[in-house]
Amino acid sequence: MNIFAQLRTVRMVLVAGVALRALVWGIVAAITLIVGAALVDLAVPVSLAARSVLVGVAVASGVAVMVALSWRDRSALSLPRVALWIEERFPALEYALVTAVELGDSEWIAAGSTQRWSTTAAGRGARALRAPIALAVIGIAVALLMPSGAVARMRAPHAGDSLERARIGKRGSRLTPLVAEVNPPAYSGEKTTVIDEPNDIRALAGSVVTLRGRGNGAGVVARVGADSVGVVTRGDRWSITLHLASRPAAVRLADSSYERIIAVEPIVDAPPSVTLAAPAHDSVLRVARGRIPLSADMTDDFGIAAASFEYIVSSGEGETFKFRSGTLGATQPNARRASIASSLLLDSLALKPGDIVHLRAVARDANNVTGPGVGVSDTRAIRIARADEYDSVAVDAAPPSDADKSVISERMLILLAEALQTKRPTLKRDALVGESHSIALDQKKLRRSVGEIVFTRLGGDPNGEEHSDDDSPQRAKTMQELLARADSATNRSSDPIDFAGGESPVVAVNKPLLEAYNAMWDASTELEIGEPGRALPHMRRALAAIQKARQAERLYLRGTPPRVVIDISKVRLKGKDKGTTNTRRALTSSDSAARARADRFTRIVELASHDAGAAVDSLLLLRVDALGEEPAFAAALSDAIAAMRGNKTDDATSALGRARRSLSGAPIARDSLARWGVIP
Amino acid sequence: MSAEFVFATAQYESGDWDSAPLVPPNIIDTIARYTEISVAPTGIIVPLSDDRMLRYPLLYMTGHLPVRFSEAERRNVKRFVERGGLLFVDDHNHDIDGTFHKTAVEEITRSVGALTDLPNDHPLYAAFFKFDGPPTTSHELNGWGDNLVHKHLLAIQRNGRIAVLYSSKDYSSEWNYHPDSKRFMSVDNTRFAVNLVVYALTA
Repeated sequence: MNIFAQLRTVRMVLVAGVALRALVWGIVAAITLIVGAALVDLAVPVSLAARSVLVGVAVASGVAVMVALSWRDRSALSLPRVALWIEERFPALEYALVTAVELGDSEWIAAGSTQRWSTTAAGRGARALRAPIALAVIGIAVALLMPSGAVARMRAPHAGDSLERARIGKRGSRLTPLVAEVNPPAYSGEKTTVIDEPNDIRALAGSVVTLRGRGNGAGVVARVGADSVGVVTRGDRWSITLHLASRPAAVRLADSSYERIIAVEPIVDAPPSVTLAAPAHDSVLRVARGRIPLSADMTDDFGIAAASFEYIVSSGEGETFKFRSGTLGATQPNARRASIASSLLLDSLALKPGDIVHLRAVARDANNVTGPGVGVSDTRAIRIARADEYDSVAVDAAPPSDADKSVISERMLILLAEALQTKRPTLKRDALVGESHSIALDQKKLRRSVGEIVFTRLGGDPNGEEHSDDDSPQRAKTMQELLARADSATNRSSDPIDFAGGESPVVAVNKPLLEAYNAMWDASTELEIGEPGRALPHMRRALAAIQKARQAERLYLRGTPPRVVIDISKVRLKGKDKGTTNTRRALTSSDSAARARADRFTRIVELASHDAGAAVDSLLLLRVDALGEEPAFAAALSDAIAAMRGNKTDDATSALGRARRSLSGAPIARDSLARWGVIP
Repeated sequence: MSAEFVFATAQYESGDWDSAPLVPPNIIDTIARYTEISVAPTGIIVPLSDDRMLRYPLLYMTGHLPVRFSEAERRNVKRFVERGGLLFVDDHNHDIDGTFHKTAVEEITRSVGALTDLPNDHPLYAAFFKFDGPPTTSHELNGWGDNLVHKHLLAIQRNGRIAVLYSSKDYSSEWNYHPDSKRFMSVDNTRFAVNLVVYALTA
């Protein structure tokens, strides 16, 4: 073997030594981190979150140490540096080896002296490994000497392993550590969850909650409200089992002088939410024939077990009603979201006029613990019209009404009059009067048709106002006069109309058309004398009146109940002697519960100034009581409790302030003081 | 706010809420006749879906047809009860397990809670006149109705007071006549309404 081959062998030995040393130091770093954390955990519990990342951090640390050491000793890869390293250990070479490497000439070195180089390099590598291997052995020994499960908590952390945590020192409360295992009801399909050191447990109503602690259960007392809960001991563990009802509760655990309160908040399984998509609105049908499509959409937080449409048919009137009911389209979706569809055959229901079909969609969830929750949609009513109300339910297609046609005609006449007025300067007087007269004739025809509508409505006589083609000299000169004539035509009475006190519905409805009628009369008068410009305002007034008439809402009044006004003085025989009735107690304020809650909150806040621990427990109990009725208040209390437990004074103050505000209600914003300067 | 008592009839979107239009004036007449309670001479009709319904201490609700509350009605009924109001529901069908009964009870249960029998010695029956339980109505006894005498009214109680009072006795038919007709009666059958109003105002 020449010296260069020998030199490469030495380099390989040195590189292997460097790599091995880096690897072992990396392992030492990882072991130290895990064992150190386990030692800390013996004294102070390390959180699950911190432990969950510990293994990753340990591996990363080991790799970092390994890479750093390898980088530091990377010169072992260089042949000149290896040659220098050998020269340092064999001074007799007197730089001959370095020279040989630089010149690439092996003649500088005697062949027999190279054998010891490899041995020296191997020895150097072995010495470098001693310290890290010793430390690794110590670390492993410490890990083996630690209490059972201490390292496992670091290596494979999981929720609920606080019970496996070893302790240093004397035995304390059996209430710490505490683990809660929550088993949701089977119908929900949710997984079991485990919580370490629970203070608040939120779980689906119907869940089974098991609280587990270490040691024998003798002497451990558990109460929910006023009820005691049995403590079971199995091996070196005690446990209690709770079945979550639908109301919040506080679980009080006691072990000699130790006490612990855990708030248990049930999440109520919401009933399904159901929306009836079809029919989309109530309807009145003229005949009870055909098929009504039904469709509904529904959602539930855990799953819909059954869904259907329900109908009730109510028949009769007055004091005599009969009912029939049934279901349609029943299905079992077994899904969180479902759509159902069916149809209602009206023929099969044998409906009679006046009958009402009430339709809704119903969904039931699979809750077999506190339910089933039933969700219903809005109800739609399908009514079969009676013969005497057909006027309000006619749906047959019909041509435009006479009033609509009049609108179109009046608008055309206005256009003609405007065009004539525009070209008036270019026309001779005779031509202007001729064209204007032509428009006046059309205006007169239109006025006559409007008059027919009005007077047919009012009195049944289409010629009630106009008896000939000639302009009537008896034309009403004012609206009042015209309406007086209309009303007399309707009522056939000579009594004057009381315009100030109100009009009959007939006159009120026809008033705009009468106004249009009058305006048309004025317009035609102007047009006949060749004054389209002066006619236009009257024509526009007529158009507006017709539009007003056609836009008027038609009201179909059902029988209004008789309005009976009691004459209190008369009933009391107008007596002045005021007798006394029996003694009355003051009306209890309806918000007494809220006030009591506010008082309790105030007392707890005062307590917090000198006994924070007791205040936290009191807040927890108050939170449990308020969960059902004041969720915002309860949420603020939860934040306050968390802040107080973490000694975060500012956060606690802020959360308590929020709680106070949620008790007082939303602040009332006013733009200004009340009218009389009094803030109610 | 006016200090006088206003008798309010609940209007709901489904059903015939106005089936007993003469009950309000009749009760107002009775209140005026027997008590010194300051009472408005006419009643008022207030939609259950309207927040104005919260202004009245007593709401009267009746009908023959199925009762289906809208979301707004359901929410307001709950708020009304939470604020200390008394909702008096009377089945105008005077039957048990009829459609009004089924649907109204279902809606009340969903909105407020479950109805239970009201003991016949409840303070309601001694709030003004003394009764040994809910007064019977002619509709229970004349064979025209369900031919049953209902022994109890149903109620939901909150904080020791009645929040919802439910009757299957058909007081709506019994009291649905013009107040002037009282002079033909040997015994005024609306006296129980006084207890109802006095209880709603004082309990």
